Amino acid sequence: MSKLVRERRDSEPVRKALKSDFEMLLSRFKQTESVRFETFSNIWREMNFGHIFYGITVMHKKRKFSRLVLDMAYSFFLPPFSFHIRVGGLYLLYSLYRCQTALPIERIRLALKDWDDVKKFEKDAVNAKHLDVVYVFQKLMFLKAFHFTAMPIQLHFNRKRNVEKSLLCEEFIERPSRPQELINIELLEELSNIQEIYEKLKSSVPSLSGQMDSSVNLIHKDLVPKLRSTVVDFYKWQKMQDAEYRDEDEDEDEDSGEGTSSQQECSRRASIIASIKSRAYGQVAETSKARRHRQVELDLNTTAGPSIKTGYIRISKPSLKARTSQKILISGNTGKGTPTLINRLTSLDPTSDPEAKSKGLKEV
Amino acid sequence: MAASSAKAASSSDNIPDYEYVDVNTKVFHIDSFRSEWLSRLKPEDFSHKQEDDDVFDARFAKEMGADAETMAKLKAICSLDSLCCHPEDQRSDAETVPPNSTLKTLIQRKKKQDLKRPQKVSKNRHDLYADELESLALSRKPNDAVDVVPEGEVILTINVYYPAVYDKFNHNRPHMTLLMLGSHNLTQLRDAICCVSDLQVCGEFSNTPDMAPDFISKDHFKSAFFFFEGVFYIDMRFPECQDISMTTIEWAKTHNFPTYSQAKMEDTRFVDLKVKVGFPYLYCHQGDCEHLVIITDVRLAHANDCLDKKLYPLLTHKHRVSTQKCAVCHVFIGRWLTTKDQFAPSDPCLFCNKCFQMLHYDTEGNKLGDFLAYPYVDPGAFN
Ligand SMILES: [Zn+2]
Ligand SMILES: [Zn+2]
Repeated sequence: MSKLVRERRDSEPVRKALKSDFEMLLSRFKQTESVRFETFSNIWREMNFGHIFYGITVMHKKRKFSRLVLDMAYSFFLPPFSFHIRVGGLYLLYSLYRCQTALPIERIRLALKDWDDVKKFEKDAVNAKHLDVVYVFQKLMFLKAFHFTAMPIQLHFNRKRNVEKSLLCEEFIERPSRPQELINIELLEELSNIQEIYEKLKSSVPSLSGQMDSSVNLIHKDLVPKLRSTVVDFYKWQKMQDAEYRDEDEDEDEDSGEGTSSQQECSRRASIIASIKSRAYGQVAETSKARRHRQVELDLNTTAGPSIKTGYIRISKPSLKARTSQKILISGNTGKGTPTLINRLTSLDPTSDPEAKSKGLKEV
Repeated sequence: MAASSAKAASSSDNIPDYEYVDVNTKVFHIDSFRSEWLSRLKPEDFSHKQEDDDVFDARFAKEMGADAETMAKLKAICSLDSLCCHPEDQRSDAETVPPNSTLKTLIQRKKKQDLKRPQKVSKNRHDLYADELESLALSRKPNDAVDVVPEGEVILTINVYYPAVYDKFNHNRPHMTLLMLGSHNLTQLRDAICCVSDLQVCGEFSNTPDMAPDFISKDHFKSAFFFFEGVFYIDMRFPECQDISMTTIEWAKTHNFPTYSQAKMEDTRFVDLKVKVGFPYLYCHQGDCEHLVIITDVRLAHANDCLDKKLYPLLTHKHRVSTQKCAVCHVFIGRWLTTKDQFAPSDPCLFCNKCFQMLHYDTEGNKLGDFLAYPYVDPGAFN
């Protein structure tokens, strides 16, 4: 057996144990719903996590273990994990890096392809005024803790043999929220306004038969409600999955009868629907991911400026209705001269000037 | 628009990514990779100088709009002390696995140590040697400023594997690991590779043992090439160097193979290469001695690297082979191999120089009896 394969096989139980320890730490961190470093370090101390380096006597083994620990922790600092887990991953890297017993110390390998993700993460943290997150990251940069590498690990052309495919902890992965963010209440409102104007416009077009020309029926009349219900369905399904995941965990220790569980199911569904109704999933524009932890910020940040409290600042511009009716008014007034803009909203004429068309689209 | 998207595509080509996950990357150009990193980092990020804590804190406070009180709190919260598991962490404990830990890693480590407790915790020579090599060079700074590895230089880690000529080598993949700088020429790698076949002496010298040259092979066959991504890089430094890749190139042409090209080893720097990290390439010398070459890592130089250019190529690992001792004294390394030797306990047989001379020649140096003698170079002699 090759030395490398043997090493890999020997390190497999170590990897497994480490992964499980990391996941325990991070899952406890996640449960607190706080991204404060203080919260993290409390759990770290409670679990005596620094002891993970204890009991290795030979220096080259210390170095090997440091390497393994940092490489494994690195993955929690990257997508697809949620912002919260990535903060945990960063704290984990920081703590492991600073507590390692190897000499010379091992650096954290940061791959070029991951850099943009890391900077985006930092930016999110800056915008959300998570001072401790930013501080810990910049401190690592300052300490020269990183090797700026081509790849996250050194590559030896080893094909993996019998290495169990390690699964990502699903609980930690970011739920896609783009649909909810995109199709929010404001957008629906504006959409229905456009729809209204559009319908009016169509009915004002004189037609030969006196009936509505079917060629202008390009859009479903119930577009807006349909869109809304689709997104609600998606959101419901997502929540259901989360709930099921939590249930699975609970079921492990409580052996609940079927009757009760289906009852739970009903009440869960009811509460989900209630929550959707109350929130109209509109607030599901849960603002940026990094801001979800705002509620748990400590006094640490109170001095950091008003933007924490005000949270998500919307750039207020006149609603589309206002803007559109203004346009219509103008074109109505000047009459014969420039009716083009409205025409373009409805016409699908491929010969029409694409630049003007894109301008028209931009208005939407 | 089209131009900008084309440009974006070409720049992302030089952001290394996997071809096969955890095995090797796609091809990228090393110098472009370097520029991509440098364009993203601030100079202080890859500087060899360590900034002051105060400078860092002041800049952070300014950028984040944090006042003195907030900064003091932040520093306390994120300090190393906040991670200590005991009020006064006893470092002496660190040598033993803490009992009753709930961490799976430690439970597993304890179990493993209990299992093989009687075994001596010996460190093998290879690892000792590797540590030795690395710590020798670590954060070494040269006396002369011109010899400093410049900031933003790339460092490559290169494994050169020994040819699989011995049976026991087949599964063991012994190799040497070298650190090279991006500005190095390929010839500097070639000269750093030590292979026994470069030292092998051919010929039978039983009649004239004093004439046996020491180590000469390298001088006789200077030709050599590296093969990276369809290009033969040939050593053309010496007039007697032959282009030994031409045969292959011609053969490939006539057999409908992809066309290969060639370049001069001495004119090619590592930053000029387009390569895959983790992918096995070829080094060929002595006509038929072939080594696999794998670039296992490319990264920016770090303040704590060896910063003395003159110490590169830096050997960080070398496989050590056990040496074959003389069949008579069992003390010295074998220097002569004999066959058809009536004095020898075996055929072939190894002798150190002294035992060989004493057994096979009289005091005047006359050959005694019949035997054939070949100078022998022990692969372990260069550990
Ligand atoms: Zn060789
Ligand atoms: Zn001897």
